[in-house]
Amino acid sequence: MWNKIALGVTMLASQTLVAQEIVFNQKAALEQVYQKPVEAEGLLPMNDLNVDFGYVLYQSEITTQSESEDLELENVRDYAAVYVNGKLQGRVTDNNKKITIKTNPGKYLLQIYVENIGRITYGPEITDNSKGLFGEVTLDGNEVENWKMVPLNIKKYPVKDLKFENRAEVETPGFYRGKFELKELKNNYLDITGWGMGEVWVNQKYVGSYWEEEKQRSILIPSEDLVQGENEIVVFELKNNQQKTMKLSQTPVFK
Amino acid sequence: MQAYALKAQTVSVDLSGKWKFQTDVMDFRRGSLSPRYNHVLQEEIQLPGITDDYKIGYKVPYQYIDRLTRKYEYMGPAWYQRDIEIPAAWKGKKIFMYFERTHWLSSIYVDTKEVSAIDYISVPHNHDLTNFVKPGKTHRITVCIDNRFQYKTHKWNHAHTEFTQINWNGILGEMKLIAIDPVYLEDLQVYPNIANNSVKVRLQVNNETKKQFKGKASFTINGKNYSLKNEVAVVSTDSVTFVEANIPMGKNAKLWDEFNPNVYEITAQLQTSDGKANYQHEKSTTFGLREVKQGKNHVMLNNRPIHLRGNVENAVFPKTGHVPVDDASWERIMLLMKDYGMNHLRFHSWCPPKAAFRMADKHGIYFEVEMPMWGKDAEPDEARYNFFRREIKAILKEYGNHPSFVLYCNGNEITGNFDFIEELTAEGIKLDPRHLFSGSTARTRVKSDQYYVSQQTNKGPVKVYEGLPNTDWDRSAESDVDVPVISHESGQRCVYPNFEEIKKYANSPVEARNFEVFRDMLQKNGMLDQANDFFKASGALTVLEYKAVIEALLRSSKSAGFQLLSINDFPGQGYAPVGILDPFWDSKGLVTPEKFREFCAPTVALLRYEKSSYFNTETFTGKAEVYNFSNADIKNAKLKWWLTDESGKVLQKGNLKNQTIANDNVSPVGEFSISLKGISVAQKLTVHLSVNDQIKNSWNIWVYPSHQDLMQSTDQVLYTSVYDDAAKKQLAQGKSVVLYPTPENVKGRKSMFHNHFWNPIMFAWAPMTIGNLVHNEQPMFKDFTTSYHTDWQWWDILNNAKVIEMQNTPEKLRPFIQVIDSYDNNQKLGIGFEAKVNGGKLLVLAVDTKTDMDKRPATQQLLYSIDNYVKSDKFSPQVPVEETFIQSFLNK
Repeated sequence: MWNKIALGVTMLASQTLVAQEIVFNQKAALEQVYQKPVEAEGLLPMNDLNVDFGYVLYQSEITTQSESEDLELENVRDYAAVYVNGKLQGRVTDNNKKITIKTNPGKYLLQIYVENIGRITYGPEITDNSKGLFGEVTLDGNEVENWKMVPLNIKKYPVKDLKFENRAEVETPGFYRGKFELKELKNNYLDITGWGMGEVWVNQKYVGSYWEEEKQRSILIPSEDLVQGENEIVVFELKNNQQKTMKLSQTPVFK
Repeated sequence: MQAYALKAQTVSVDLSGKWKFQTDVMDFRRGSLSPRYNHVLQEEIQLPGITDDYKIGYKVPYQYIDRLTRKYEYMGPAWYQRDIEIPAAWKGKKIFMYFERTHWLSSIYVDTKEVSAIDYISVPHNHDLTNFVKPGKTHRITVCIDNRFQYKTHKWNHAHTEFTQINWNGILGEMKLIAIDPVYLEDLQVYPNIANNSVKVRLQVNNETKKQFKGKASFTINGKNYSLKNEVAVVSTDSVTFVEANIPMGKNAKLWDEFNPNVYEITAQLQTSDGKANYQHEKSTTFGLREVKQGKNHVMLNNRPIHLRGNVENAVFPKTGHVPVDDASWERIMLLMKDYGMNHLRFHSWCPPKAAFRMADKHGIYFEVEMPMWGKDAEPDEARYNFFRREIKAILKEYGNHPSFVLYCNGNEITGNFDFIEELTAEGIKLDPRHLFSGSTARTRVKSDQYYVSQQTNKGPVKVYEGLPNTDWDRSAESDVDVPVISHESGQRCVYPNFEEIKKYANSPVEARNFEVFRDMLQKNGMLDQANDFFKASGALTVLEYKAVIEALLRSSKSAGFQLLSINDFPGQGYAPVGILDPFWDSKGLVTPEKFREFCAPTVALLRYEKSSYFNTETFTGKAEVYNFSNADIKNAKLKWWLTDESGKVLQKGNLKNQTIANDNVSPVGEFSISLKGISVAQKLTVHLSVNDQIKNSWNIWVYPSHQDLMQSTDQVLYTSVYDDAAKKQLAQGKSVVLYPTPENVKGRKSMFHNHFWNPIMFAWAPMTIGNLVHNEQPMFKDFTTSYHTDWQWWDILNNAKVIEMQNTPEKLRPFIQVIDSYDNNQKLGIGFEAKVNGGKLLVLAVDTKTDMDKRPATQQLLYSIDNYVKSDKFSPQVPVEETFIQSFLNK
């Protein structure tokens, strides 16, 4: 009798303490959601690309002349991840618009994935409401020109139509897919700790977004969006922190 | 000084009346120059009051565009002085000088010595003068009120902003000198427990005798048909003692909520003795038996979910220039909230005075109050942080007993260090369990949040700024997070200013000089006679937007409520006349409270439907829901629907199944379909839904026959999308031309159904227009049913059109679809107009007539109506325009 009670307590404790882990072992390439690109000599803000909110890939060819060069952006609204030849260089925001590019001298593909969170800042700081990248981008003081701007259909593209492959060691943004089993239907909080910035779908239904700068680290997945047995989760990750897993928590997670 | 009884143990002397006064814009304290408090002040002022009442300060010569103009600006220290005799009988007593509300720092100088300084902004200033005045002596008391910013807080914080209420200098409300016994009640807090109908009373007893005191605290609780007495013994030698008493209130005690705002008053009387002297002191407060908890998606009051139908209150008080501190002014506002079906006020970046809480307690309004905190106010600044740390405690102590004080939030749209925001929020929860706490509206979440006011969650947008011509949508999924979510600053649809309001400011400290600028500009542009039409047409659009906005938020069963910005105008930030009430909280005459309550009330009939414009071959399908956050479920509800035409004649009707409608929820109650066959003539119809013949709501739909072969040229009438030689020739022959350029080919702004968000001065982005004025009495609308304002049938017309700049046409030319320009621009704009050109008759319509026409019954009908018109003898434009004008708005 004593034993039985003790065992019961242990089991209860392990259920609450060990969070269920979801492994993301598949990836869908971002090219699938590319929309019609716009080419121009200078940067166009998302307003001119008819993107009210969401994501645009700004890309151009750069030539580096030394092993370390400063890439400087005039305006970043609201968040961007910078890649050179598919390798993450870092993130930039309007508060931090300079980044160092480390390469051997040569020609490279510069890709800047920008999210416009579409939020109206009705603070007095508001002077204009342009979004995306605009003004100049310079590399060691020289203006980067000839941009190709590709709106990305992240939010509206049917998740079921994405083509996934087994995940390879690449750093570019993309969609990640994982599966998890549930025995019991109840509300769960998806713990995104470690991931950078993105959007989440469960069983092809949009459940929310996340950003590592926020204190809030979880997204509620209501029980009505879950099924008993196998559930599918798809994550679009912009920054790509090379995370492999997320966890399910029974309580909201804050840092 | 005669107004007190010497024998009483607590004595209060009213300090209102005449005070000596002097300004001090130089702040002479800063140098070695002779500071004001060393001298007898030379002028006089009446208190309570503010410097503006006496035209003190800089006589402002400007016409501020982005706000009302303060007539006399004063920002600096100002000195107020009185010689006050401290009665000899006050020996041994504590002596306080109390000001109910000031802005922002008050300092007291006793005979040239500064003895006390307090810089709370949300609560009374109670200066302890005991150690600095001598009973039996007359002291020169000089008060310095300094309304300069005491901390680097955001200039827009409504607690001290110049932009809504003004940043006044003065003293408001009660002002008095108080003498009390040295063993006294510093604080009285009442914590209700509704599980057993009891209250825990917590007293802070201060003892300045340095001796042991003994005695009792007696409690009297009074309410309607209710009285109770109770007492506890007290004994202590400490200088501060906390006394707690649990007082069962019995089964006759009633709970407080919006439907039954039962308020009780408790008086604690402290009677003690130190062996030699007897001491007595009394303190009273009102309270309500109620508990607030965090529910899954709603705020729980007395264990039932409530739904907040609220208004954002931004300290808009142009009549006085300062927040009113009297009950009557606040009672008016609470009754207006009830009139318009609301139960909630959010005090944006400020906390109102006691009278507001008293009247909300009395009428059952739920408050969210805030500190003066906005934007970067949470960026590191230790002095500012400490101000906030003091202020939150002061707010909870001063107003915590009020049952109407349901929600606390630190402030508005805060950025900076959220560890500090978390610290304040967690501290609040620890200090006072009678409210729910939240870190910031509409910004980063913190762990201690017990609710969240935002325009979006991590699941998507929860604000609603505008309606749609369809209603089968809501914000439920986006509201479903770990805490209850309240929709932040929804609405914000701009109405053209009503210049009639200018005269209302005659006796105010502020003036609508911006309105004068706007009005003069409209006059210069030849449209002053249309000012009232612009106001009425844009106002009607705002009303129908608010109906759609509020209904969408009521359909959102997982939303905790909404805060409309706002039912009254906001006279700052560029001037945002978004209200159905003006800044004086007077109705603009755009909608009656009864009509407003059809879509904003504790119980509202709702309908989800696919669209507003139909062909007469289609069927209207409505999914009925009932939002019920009233006091009870609705047993065996009879649900009726019916369809009327414009004359009010019932065309079709039916019932849904009788059923009991749950309380505290939004319930689907059934579907119905109405075949629109047989509606042969284009017309506006109204779908009605009622619950027990008492709760009623209605929605307009438009039914049109479909038209083929529109826009066919005849010998007399040429339809053309380009202004070419053929068109010119046709006009030169005195014939008719209908020019319908593709929108891409028209210069100017894109047309939009919605009127501008908030205001076009602060947010200078599209559409920069304030709705449309339709000249519906003119014959081109004979077969197109429309009011003078746009309604949902205009959706597909306006969203597929361009706005033609027409300021350079003769003054007499008025476009029949006239777009209302931003009031700081006031140019003549139109989508459709007619004119005499080169001897011919021209009608121009800058509407897309090609895309998806089989889905645009209203556009088809408008074209049909215009076609009948231009082919009739009624088509006879009176005003000539030059051909160059036609070319001026076309790209080619």
